[in-house]
Amino acid sequence: MRRKTISYAKYGYIFSIPFVLTFLIFSLYPLVYTSIIGFTDLRGLMKTDINFLEVPFENFKTVLTSPLFQKALFNTFFIWICNFIPQMVIALLLTAWFTNRRFKIRAQGMFKVLIYMPNIITQATIALLFYSLFGYPKGPINDIFLALGWIDAPLNFHLQKWTARGVVAFIQFWMWYGHTMIVLIAGVLGINPTLFEAAEIDGASAPQIFFRITLPRLKTIVLYTLVTSMIGGLQMYDIPKLFLWGGPDNATTTTSVYIYNQAFSGSYLYNRAAAASMVMFVIIAILSVFLFFILRDKDSVLQRKRERTMRKEAKARMREVAL
Amino acid sequence: MKRKLGVLLCLLLVIGFTLPLVAQGAQEAAPKVINLWSFTDEVPKMLEKYKELNPDFDYEIKTTIIATTDGAYQPALDQALVSGGADAPDIYCAESAFVLKYTQGDASDFAAPYKDLGIDVDAKLKEADIAQYTVDIGTNPAGELVGLGYQATGGAFIYRRSIAKDVWGTDDPSVIKTKVGPGWDKFWKAAAELRAKGYGILSGDGDLWHAIEGASEKGWIVDGKLYLDPDREAFLDMAKMMIDKGYSNDTRDWTDAWFADMKDAGEKPIFGFFGPAWLINYVMAGNSGGSAPGEGTYGDWAVCEPPVGFFWGGTWVLANDNSKHKDVIGDIIEWITLDSSKTGLQYFWANGTLFGPGGTKDTVASGTVMEMSDGTLDFLGGQNMFDVFVPAGQFATGRNKHQYDETINIYWRDQVREYTAGNKSRAQAIADFKQQVKDNLDIASY
Repeated sequence: MRRKTISYAKYGYIFSIPFVLTFLIFSLYPLVYTSIIGFTDLRGLMKTDINFLEVPFENFKTVLTSPLFQKALFNTFFIWICNFIPQMVIALLLTAWFTNRRFKIRAQGMFKVLIYMPNIITQATIALLFYSLFGYPKGPINDIFLALGWIDAPLNFHLQKWTARGVVAFIQFWMWYGHTMIVLIAGVLGINPTLFEAAEIDGASAPQIFFRITLPRLKTIVLYTLVTSMIGGLQMYDIPKLFLWGGPDNATTTTSVYIYNQAFSGSYLYNRAAAASMVMFVIIAILSVFLFFILRDKDSVLQRKRERTMRKEAKARMREVAL
Repeated sequence: MKRKLGVLLCLLLVIGFTLPLVAQGAQEAAPKVINLWSFTDEVPKMLEKYKELNPDFDYEIKTTIIATTDGAYQPALDQALVSGGADAPDIYCAESAFVLKYTQGDASDFAAPYKDLGIDVDAKLKEADIAQYTVDIGTNPAGELVGLGYQATGGAFIYRRSIAKDVWGTDDPSVIKTKVGPGWDKFWKAAAELRAKGYGILSGDGDLWHAIEGASEKGWIVDGKLYLDPDREAFLDMAKMMIDKGYSNDTRDWTDAWFADMKDAGEKPIFGFFGPAWLINYVMAGNSGGSAPGEGTYGDWAVCEPPVGFFWGGTWVLANDNSKHKDVIGDIIEWITLDSSKTGLQYFWANGTLFGPGGTKDTVASGTVMEMSDGTLDFLGGQNMFDVFVPAGQFATGRNKHQYDETINIYWRDQVREYTAGNKSRAQAIADFKQQVKDNLDIASY
């Protein structure tokens, strides 16, 4: 007779089939394909006969030595840093205010929704909105500056490299600080409230509570936002592409815009685009590892070390006793 | 019991997945579906009319519309053509900025010659009197016709009557055309006269570019290398002069400021625009600030011959060589591009009667149809625009185009703007332009 036991394990496998299938087809396969064609001569729309290059890293060399790619790399990092630092600072500040139990801010829900709102709008809409706002010779920003007497003639913002970079960075900041704030608030709510109570009773000030209790406890969440924002920021594409098509004079050409232009703007240089993608993959991977290293939990590492030495000592002692 | 049920379910699933595959193999008689790819709703709407005119036409038409903004249409269409299968496009449209890729360039293998669709090309071309540039662009390297347009997009100079009267004392197109042309020297002389009275001749450098691009002798690519035609190089200096001497409002085409100049809401009043008939009907009329003579600038416009001949825009209709419904597609394409009778698409299109009377009038490819049609517009103060636009098509040339025009034009105009704004020297702008093309398209320059 068969023993009747109920095993739920198989349902786990069954329910994960759709994900695994989509992942294999739409994520893993393109990933592997991309990593391979970087070493081939695949370019052009109708090419079916693909060969590996004699010099395997030729495409990588072309990409890495291209001044345009270097410029794109600079733009990407510049725009990311300019949006990330204010984003983190403002999000942390708002988190501190919203979670402070002494402030008791009214209409919190409404503020949170309003702050989160930019994240809901499609990026395409926002890019076009800002394109119109900074219009030349007519546009709301120019009109305001003229009315305030700050300028005598309309400024062509679309031709100013630093303005363009600044606007892209601002859009990124404005779209994502609400999202970061929500994640951080969730993190704060996960901290044991008795810690705050104890601190309050002991007479800690609000800044002290924030820096001594909230921040250290938020470390994992901060690490999470850092890493996701870095990956998102270094793959920035929609806004710079739609705002000024990577212009003026390539000032907002990020590496993703560069990759798109290589692959789809006419000559279909798929191999170079793939090589550039792999370069970005490596850069992002290295930076992520670096972040994890900096923000590792030093206390628990120490603790583990201590435990290991204690165990060793105990073993040694046991051996001594046995002998 | 449960186990049996499981096995049964599995079997059912397997059968369910494999059955369609078998069915597809067995059912060689293809379903009656025609896939249509377009970047506007123009051609899809025409096919609705076609269905109405041909009650026994029993095919289902599946339409895919993807706008050309941000260059999204081409990659999607390319993928659909390359992938093939039941969902591959049967009929697809291409715009002048990239049509050459599909008729003569990288993707020309997909385009079916009109002859193979059962169209008597030579006789029909003569009968319909199609402008030569349309045919040139639609002919593949083997000399076979694979694409034709329904619109004629020869350009004219569209100017404000009231400003013409103020400066030259008349708004008669036959006089104004001798003021603004022929040739650029006369045009800039007119610009100076207009400037003296406080008017700009053009809205921005984009207007100038479309005329220069269309009139230059050679295109961007000559024998596989980037070539800067002297006419196109002269655009740098003309654009700079236009800003320095205040001949324009320094707008960029397709921006708010450009549209504002059409209803006289810019910094100074603007005399005119370069454009084909579609610019009048689909862009200027809607942005004139009115819908009847006397409102805004509506009715205060007229057209005359431009200083140089050019064409701008237009849609070419192509058929997929792998299509299973070639005869049916042939009938549709012939109706759209070559039928010069009063029930052909072009007659409806020219007279604005495709969806009942009172629609938008437009110039069409067939000269025969143009002669039968009336292009009188209230917007132009009662002028018959066909008098100007029909000859305009004869001056246009299709031999200076290249499949990468859309991309290269963006790079070129960016660098020109860097120069005219004073951010760069002239030589630096040209060098950067060449570098840009080399970096992104891997095309060397002379």
